[in-house]
Amino acid sequence: MQQKVKVLWITGLACNGNTHSFLNYPNLGQFLDNFEFIYHPIIESKYSLEEIVSNTIPCDVLLIEGSISAEIEKADKKLIDIISNYAKVVNKIITVGTCSTFGGIFRDSEYEDITGLHFNETLEVERFRKIKDKTISISGCPIHPELLINTLYSIKNKIELKLDEYLRPKEYFAYTIHNGCTRNEYFEYKVDNHQFGKKEGCMFYDHGCQAPFTHGSCNKILWNEVNSKTRAGQPCMGCTEPDFPKSNLFKTKKNMGIPANLPLGVAKRTYLTLAGVTKAFTINRLEKDIFDD
Amino acid sequence: MIKLIEKIEGEAKLHFSFKNKKIDFVDIEFLQTRSIEKILEEKNAFDALVINPRVCGICGHAHLIATVEALEDCYEDLEVSNKAKIMRELTLNFELIQNHFKWFYFTVLPLFGYKQAVLKAALPSQIMAKAIAVIGGQYPHNSYAVVGGVVSEITHMDIIKLEQYINETQNFFDENLIHLENEDILKCESIDSLFNKKGDLSQILGDIRKNKWEQLGKSYDRFIAFGENSYFTKGKSLKTRRFTDISIEDVVEFSTQSSYAKNVTFKDKYFEVGPLSRAIINKNGLIKDSHSKFEDSIVSRIVARVLEIPQLLNHTKNLINQINLDEPSYIKPKIDISKITSSGYSAVEAARGTLIHKVNLENGIIKKYDIITPTQWNLSNGTRENQGISQKAMIGLKDEKIAEIVFKSFDVCSVCTTH
Repeated sequence: MQQKVKVLWITGLACNGNTHSFLNYPNLGQFLDNFEFIYHPIIESKYSLEEIVSNTIPCDVLLIEGSISAEIEKADKKLIDIISNYAKVVNKIITVGTCSTFGGIFRDSEYEDITGLHFNETLEVERFRKIKDKTISISGCPIHPELLINTLYSIKNKIELKLDEYLRPKEYFAYTIHNGCTRNEYFEYKVDNHQFGKKEGCMFYDHGCQAPFTHGSCNKILWNEVNSKTRAGQPCMGCTEPDFPKSNLFKTKKNMGIPANLPLGVAKRTYLTLAGVTKAFTINRLEKDIFDD
Repeated sequence: MIKLIEKIEGEAKLHFSFKNKKIDFVDIEFLQTRSIEKILEEKNAFDALVINPRVCGICGHAHLIATVEALEDCYEDLEVSNKAKIMRELTLNFELIQNHFKWFYFTVLPLFGYKQAVLKAALPSQIMAKAIAVIGGQYPHNSYAVVGGVVSEITHMDIIKLEQYINETQNFFDENLIHLENEDILKCESIDSLFNKKGDLSQILGDIRKNKWEQLGKSYDRFIAFGENSYFTKGKSLKTRRFTDISIEDVVEFSTQSSYAKNVTFKDKYFEVGPLSRAIINKNGLIKDSHSKFEDSIVSRIVARVLEIPQLLNHTKNLINQINLDEPSYIKPKIDISKITSSGYSAVEAARGTLIHKVNLENGIIKKYDIITPTQWNLSNGTRENQGISQKAMIGLKDEKIAEIVFKSFDVCSVCTTH
């Protein structure tokens, strides 16, 4: 029998949302036939946390969930020392979620110098620079389980992934959340009369949807295999990005009536030209409720 | 001696004191804090709808519902449709159910010497997560409930899907947790009848009986629940006496020196929250029978939590039928949040018990936010003279391994406690 890939899952300052999102992976049994956790926050493992932090148990991949600070301890050992120790022995490190990638929501907690492993928002963190070559970032609050698990398989299969500037696999993060949203037609034709509680309308114009400028695959690889936030009617909150969470999240920030954050790579002039053209049309199908005659 | 308790959505340290070879005091220490309440200060009120689900990975949805209801309480005249209320209740029920499966198969089984049943934990909880996602977009961590209703619309086809998920979960329960031939678990009123059946729950109950642990883990026999909806009732219970006239004003939260977690009392007394409390206050026949024989022991706690699954599935099925699809999902508040200077609170029944949120707003900006989580109630770290619920439940036990069974019977959530 082929040897299982040994994985260590260690948690910093976190809500365990990534842990629970991971458990939503549909083919978990098959995954556990191929991977073995030497420690996991929920799944039984061969070693206790105390044994993990006091030794260097051989393993292949280190998964880090949660924000990181020199002040945080796990079983009476400094989290940064545990990371440094295991970073030396593993082949790869994955930052699991936005907190361990960019610092996330708990950047504003009361711990000192709280960051992600390599990034404090967009700024590079010096402390772990030496292990940057080993790291892949799967951002998201929480991570989509398929993104994490397929990345683990790619490590198992020794596939070199193309990564973006924040070490995220391009296969998942070269897209925007906007790709595949069922509200796209309303965006394209600038039908901006969206109301909450409706299947119709685009939330980019008024309700703070960040999907057109947020990297990820939420509308390409659906959540829980059935839906996405924007399809349901919740604006994308940009949870895969370095500056998550921004403020005033349910409102679109505008300058002179123009959204302050434009779709990724679209110049203001291009946007204005397109908006002007599309505004010239009235598309009845998009102006009424979609199920109406 | 000190024992690090792991895999409880984080960790906690139990400092045991022994006298005459029996535990005579346990100091409970939580090791982190994430300052969510501070993070919320000076933020726009609606941002709390995005931040607060991130209090907890396993019961974050309860935090969303508590947040939206606390914010809505700040308005004097706000309309929320019955449809939106039902949708919120559905998704919250689904979250409770996924939690209970995970607790039983991840946490309870190893306490009795069995291997975790990872796939049995994951399968039904994944189905329940799908059900939440059909309505709310994703699970965990959506923010689909907003002031005035919910952002999503629901159709007949969605309802068909939800009904299938509920039936699938019910089948899983019947096939795995307890086999009752020709008997309806919801009509069963005798705890004894659960002991000699086949199924994972009966197996654990059998082990408890074999070890003579039926009376293990008793505390003060004081229960409380503040969350109210179409299924749960507000009230408190002392031994067998029930009272419904209780006020959140009598709930006090305070810090202790040895832990990051805060203690919670009602009229200066510690109360147990969670499925057992809800069942006692709701006068559930089977749990009442368990309570009359085993009081607030681990038997009652385990059975109450596991049997909340079929009860909620059944209730949820009925609730779906009450949805009027013609009602709006969202009714825009007449006053913009930026003009609201007020305070509000909410209480919802989360998987582990009563969850309270309190907010003070000034022109739509959060000035103060307080969160009291269920585990704070159950795991309050009292003094020798006035011990918390779980502390009291561990007194007199001979060793820390048995104490861990009692401790985990409360379904501990470290991340919630250290919000």
